[in-house]
Amino acid sequence: MSQLQHKVETTFATIPKKESLWLDAWKRLRRRKLAMLGGGIVLFFIILAVLAPVLTPYPYDGAELSQRFIKPMEEGHWLGTDDLGRDLFTRIVYGAQISLRVGFLAVVGSIIVGTYLGLVAGYYGKWIDMIISRVFDIMLAFPSILLAIAIVTILGRSLTNALIAIAIINVPTYGRLVRSKVLSLKEEEFIMAAKAIGMKNWRIIYHHLLPNSMTPIIVQGTLGIATAIIETAALGFLGLGAVPPTPEWGTMLADSKDYIQLAPWTVIFPGLSIMLVVLGFNLLGDGLRDALDPKMKQ
Amino acid sequence: MKKGLSIFLAIIFVLSVALAGCGGGTTDTTTKPSEQASDKPAAEVQKTLVFGRGGDSVSLDPSQVTDGESLNVTKNIFDTLIDYKDGNTEIQPALAETWESSADGLVWTFKLKQGVKFHDGTDFNAEAVVFNFNRWMDPANEYHQGDFPYYGYMFGGYKGDEGHVIKEVVAKDEFTVEIQLNAPQGPFLNNLAMTPFAIASPEAVKKHKDKFGEHPVGTGPFVFVEWLPNDKIVLDKNPNYYKTGFPLLEKIIFKSIPDNSARFTALQSGDIDMMDGVNPDDVTLAEGNENLQVWLRPSMNVGYLAFNTEKAPFDNPKVRQALSMAVNKQGLIDAFYNGLAEPAKNPMPPSLWGYNDSITDYEYNLVKAKELLAEAGFPNGFETDFWYMPVPRPYIPQGKKIAEAMQADFEKIGVKVNLRTEEWATYLDLTGKGEHSMALLGWTGDNGDPDNFIYVLLDKDNAKGPDAGNIAFYKNDALHDILIKAQQSSDEAERTKLYEDAQEIIHNDAPWVPLVHSTPPLVGKKNIKGFNPHPTGSDKFTEVHFE
Repeated sequence: MSQLQHKVETTFATIPKKESLWLDAWKRLRRRKLAMLGGGIVLFFIILAVLAPVLTPYPYDGAELSQRFIKPMEEGHWLGTDDLGRDLFTRIVYGAQISLRVGFLAVVGSIIVGTYLGLVAGYYGKWIDMIISRVFDIMLAFPSILLAIAIVTILGRSLTNALIAIAIINVPTYGRLVRSKVLSLKEEEFIMAAKAIGMKNWRIIYHHLLPNSMTPIIVQGTLGIATAIIETAALGFLGLGAVPPTPEWGTMLADSKDYIQLAPWTVIFPGLSIMLVVLGFNLLGDGLRDALDPKMKQ
Repeated sequence: MKKGLSIFLAIIFVLSVALAGCGGGTTDTTTKPSEQASDKPAAEVQKTLVFGRGGDSVSLDPSQVTDGESLNVTKNIFDTLIDYKDGNTEIQPALAETWESSADGLVWTFKLKQGVKFHDGTDFNAEAVVFNFNRWMDPANEYHQGDFPYYGYMFGGYKGDEGHVIKEVVAKDEFTVEIQLNAPQGPFLNNLAMTPFAIASPEAVKKHKDKFGEHPVGTGPFVFVEWLPNDKIVLDKNPNYYKTGFPLLEKIIFKSIPDNSARFTALQSGDIDMMDGVNPDDVTLAEGNENLQVWLRPSMNVGYLAFNTEKAPFDNPKVRQALSMAVNKQGLIDAFYNGLAEPAKNPMPPSLWGYNDSITDYEYNLVKAKELLAEAGFPNGFETDFWYMPVPRPYIPQGKKIAEAMQADFEKIGVKVNLRTEEWATYLDLTGKGEHSMALLGWTGDNGDPDNFIYVLLDKDNAKGPDAGNIAFYKNDALHDILIKAQQSSDEAERTKLYEDAQEIIHNDAPWVPLVHSTPPLVGKKNIKGFNPHPTGSDKFTEVHFE
């Protein structure tokens, strides 16, 4: 088994045409129906988000008090209106923009910082590793949402600060992933060889360690977007995320929970949207893991 | 693949729950739990009342608190010398049977009720009254531990302060008390009837000292039993209450359920018997439920938007007037109060004497508002911050929604407002220091006197940080003179005239947009009788019973 692993990884590291790896992964991914379903859901929401201004004639903000609580499919409102008379479909579609953007950017932020710290900790080891790993441990000791609440409270309430908070709390996840990958790669022959021929440390890190650590990061990142979207919604629900009238899904949920008996659609649709997007990213992430990392398959 | 299957099952489950929720419809969900509830008390008449409310009490020593959740409980443990009548702020005898004043209004003599006992068995008499007054007013008194905020506030400070109203309180005989004043005070009797000025057992105060708020002992219809913080406060019937045959209930439990809709659900399922802090939209559901009834508390409050007149551009009255024209009060009431409010044009409610009804409110007219704004030098509007309260208040049940609706209208005249809120205590703290540009706030009257609104909320005396009552930081010397004059007069006709003039000045300067006077609803089981919500927000449950 270890010989096989050895072989696969060395092959990957030296393979000349990168496309074939991705093409291969794509072929494997396509065979997984659930992953394709997840990808479809994600794609659907991306299209909704991009086409938001075209899809709906209504603004997402403003208030038409005479139009409150119109039921779904009535008077030209597909999903009805909320307590301020705003079209719910419009708000959900614009909310998709926000959730996807925050989810994506937060994960990219976590990945950049986490990967860098993980590479440094894993490659240099010793006291640098000691410090970085202990900081990761401390951060992971907190329930993540609690840490996010603390960060937003310090930075002040806004969507950007929520994004920053979510990025920060997820740094250790990627950091530890990369560090452990680097620890095993470091003992590989091609790295040893690179060292032996006098290659500089930064060159080894960027040209060999980084590309070879990307696969788990991509998988974890896809799953991480789902987590980030939930965390954004949770912060919004607690009144720590988006500032009104921003149509953030979690905030919409919190705003309409008082009307759950009177106008259940105002709660159901934002909740359903969060659930679907998160489900989509989770299915896709699971599929990607199987596709990109065949040896992890049990 | 196993994981994939479980996720698939999870989708099916969640979707079916969501769809079941859709299909069920509102009527179904509301009637079912209450049917179960009505089955329960069929055998015998219920004797325990569970009252659901939004927050816990701060302390059960009424002299130490100003918040409604504390006073609503202490109202049932303690009695005051004078009490308000049911449903209004006219006064009637309570622990004092009769009273009279000297011709100059400086000496008041009270004849006390005889044979009244505190819950700990000690006697209520003139000495007990003197003890309480000395505890409240004399910082040198060994039992004056704490802040006694309302006392200082209503009686011009404490002993030794300039402007302190009460000179001395003397026991003339066992059941006669004489209160000597330094200067006559118009609203003196109305002030004495306020819930905070309740007579506590001197023995219990001596025993518990600064912990008296956890072990309250009074003469009221109910006896304190236990307090589980943030959960419930339990009171038992006082069998020796001076009104023979009362109270009718055996036990009251004040239960804290912070979320308005969760509390309403608890009521529908029969976990609680009645509640305040009802979401206005839930009133419709309650009205349609044959097992519930709705009470309306007579309105004695005001919800308002204050401009910080110390900050540009709100130092310009024209800007304030322009924004006053951009608020659709009736629209807000229809949407967020379920009609249970009336538009406000003055800082005090119309149910109070001295209300100036001849004032015409600024009309809702966005075109004129924009013109006036241009006249004031802001043809393209401006950008500013707008604070809204994070918690439901009786005068503004949904601060955020109202702020969002007003934001949309301000946007139309070119004023871009950024909504901001803070945790409630911080909100009060920061607005009291004047950090806001515009902020929503409100006030519920305590004693039915115009002074309690206009002086407290708009006089320059109260426009000082760190905890200004006047968060518009509005300072007008002409207004100040009128208000002080009105305070010292005890001629109601003269005071009426003065307060009418005061409202005229305030209307023209527009330091606030007075928004609404709300009628807060309460909901309870249909078979509750004898409950008569009081405008001050504190209710005595003496005559409340189940049928």
